Amino acid sequence: MILPALLLIPFLYIILAILIKSKKVKTWLSFAFSLINLGFAIWVMAQVFEAGMIKTQMGSWPAPFGITLVADRFSAFMLLVSALVFAVVTLYSIQSVDTARIKNGYFLFAHGILMGVNGSFLAGDLFNLYVWFEVMLMGSFILISFGGERAQLEGAIKYLILNLISSFFFVAGIGILYGKMGTLNMADLSQKIAQSGDVLSQLSPAMVLIVVGFAIKGALFPFFFWLPASYHTPPPAVTALFAGLLTKVGIYSLIRIYTLFLYHSTSFWNPVVLWIGILSMVIGVFSASSQYDFRKILSFHIISQLGYVVIGLAFYTVAGLAAAIFFLGHNMISKTNAFLVAGWVHRERQTLNLKVLGDMFKKNTLWGVLFFISAFSLAGLPPLSGFIGKYLVIKAGIESGHINVALVALFVGFFTLFSMVKIWIEVFWKNTPPEVEAPVNTKPLPHGLMISASIILALAIVGMGVFAGPVVNFCEMAASDLLNTELYINFVLK
Amino acid sequence: MELIFAIFIGLLYACGVFLLLRRSIVKVILGVFVLGNATNLIIFLAGGIKRSGAAFIPEGAETIDPAVISDPLPQALILTAIVIGLGIAAYILALKYRYFEETGTHDLDQLSKTDRK
Repeated sequence: MILPALLLIPFLYIILAILIKSKKVKTWLSFAFSLINLGFAIWVMAQVFEAGMIKTQMGSWPAPFGITLVADRFSAFMLLVSALVFAVVTLYSIQSVDTARIKNGYFLFAHGILMGVNGSFLAGDLFNLYVWFEVMLMGSFILISFGGERAQLEGAIKYLILNLISSFFFVAGIGILYGKMGTLNMADLSQKIAQSGDVLSQLSPAMVLIVVGFAIKGALFPFFFWLPASYHTPPPAVTALFAGLLTKVGIYSLIRIYTLFLYHSTSFWNPVVLWIGILSMVIGVFSASSQYDFRKILSFHIISQLGYVVIGLAFYTVAGLAAAIFFLGHNMISKTNAFLVAGWVHRERQTLNLKVLGDMFKKNTLWGVLFFISAFSLAGLPPLSGFIGKYLVIKAGIESGHINVALVALFVGFFTLFSMVKIWIEVFWKNTPPEVEAPVNTKPLPHGLMISASIILALAIVGMGVFAGPVVNFCEMAASDLLNTELYINFVLK
Repeated sequence: MELIFAIFIGLLYACGVFLLLRRSIVKVILGVFVLGNATNLIIFLAGGIKRSGAAFIPEGAETIDPAVISDPLPQALILTAIVIGLGIAAYILALKYRYFEETGTHDLDQLSKTDRK
């Protein structure tokens, strides 16, 4: 019964946040609830580590009739990493987000996102997955427009309309799928597709609609345009939360339906997914190198890095999927931390334009080191987590015979390094350009909570790199569970 | 009946896409609503259209012939989708109003600032 708790904890906070008036109580309660959520995620992880999978049938209706919540190793890993990212961003937000936003319920909507994310990772039913997507999107719609600055409203309109269209794709796919198969439980669907042989060719329209829906949510190649147009507009803490959680849910769902349904016709889907991945990697990294805004560079890199996860999926071997899972976890942590540093720079200098920034390393060495760790983890330098992630993806590519893809991945890694070095030199290393006026407030603003939040994530990055062995083993077990579809079907249905 | 319905849904999608491509934000928002309704109708169509009874099992009986009842699940799904759509409609209109207050325009061409370098 611990799976519903992961949905109830954020929901309980939302109710309390409406009832409680005091800003201070609301703020610290939010942090406490994020820690409770982290505790439960660890508990789920411990149980899954023992048992392999756990499930809850809501209302005791047996699958496939009721709503099933199910956590396998992959879900538990994602739940744990997202709970960690959420707790850290909450701690960071306490100091970073302005008072007016916190007073008007910043944490309430953040917990709405957490509820949607947790639900998506646990959903065992396609329509349920859609509902959790909407819960998550509703929270994110409000957070992205929260405060109502002009740039934010522009970004919000683009984000909103493109994400709604992706939901329509997804729901239309669900409708057609239900009409053909008469069920929406993912395990039941997978079983029925496997039993009925060539029915998958009839299901292709539904599957294409669903994959396009996920690709828009996950910001993959031809569908990513909403992401760089909107992610740099809200307060930095919001961007960090979005970068850590939102697109990753789309990719999680893609991996889930790929391993349950799409693997029946790999001859069609494998090349499609592989090309989506390659083009996301290459286009993302090239677009990033031409940008001159701290957060825009990082936003384009989200697209590029998700490409690595998708090519890991397209190899469709245990090693490839394990690499994809590891990379997803690494990317959530490193990317969030890079945005947290961007938030500090924004707080000190009120701008993130690389051309007018400079001298930040002199201003605070520790923040410089924190940026160094997360940026060079993204670029894939040892001994950080990104090195292990990229190594696993490239190794899996070579082993499965995709040597050209592995070479492209290496090549993209080089350009990632270029962008990160660019930010490092422009923001932290060079002197502030003489024509820019010196910042008015020379006294450093308080940033104790912000820096401790960032330190936690930096330690996680280093930890994931240095002690990669157990994590990689776990990812390999998760990957072989995913490939063994029978295991999932039997567990959910019996 | 199903064919007519499918053609009607296709028309709704066409109208929705046409509205989405207009320059005025109000029309884009209307397009989103039309697309949402077309999608709900797809789920309705997926359940099959036929004249049949409510999905109740009569008192005393253990089972019922599926041919005499209509499938209740698509209707439950649509209901959920409509409620979600209502929430989003309220939010998107509020957002549009706020944007109009801030900028005094509803021209989408003014929305290009966040895409510049």
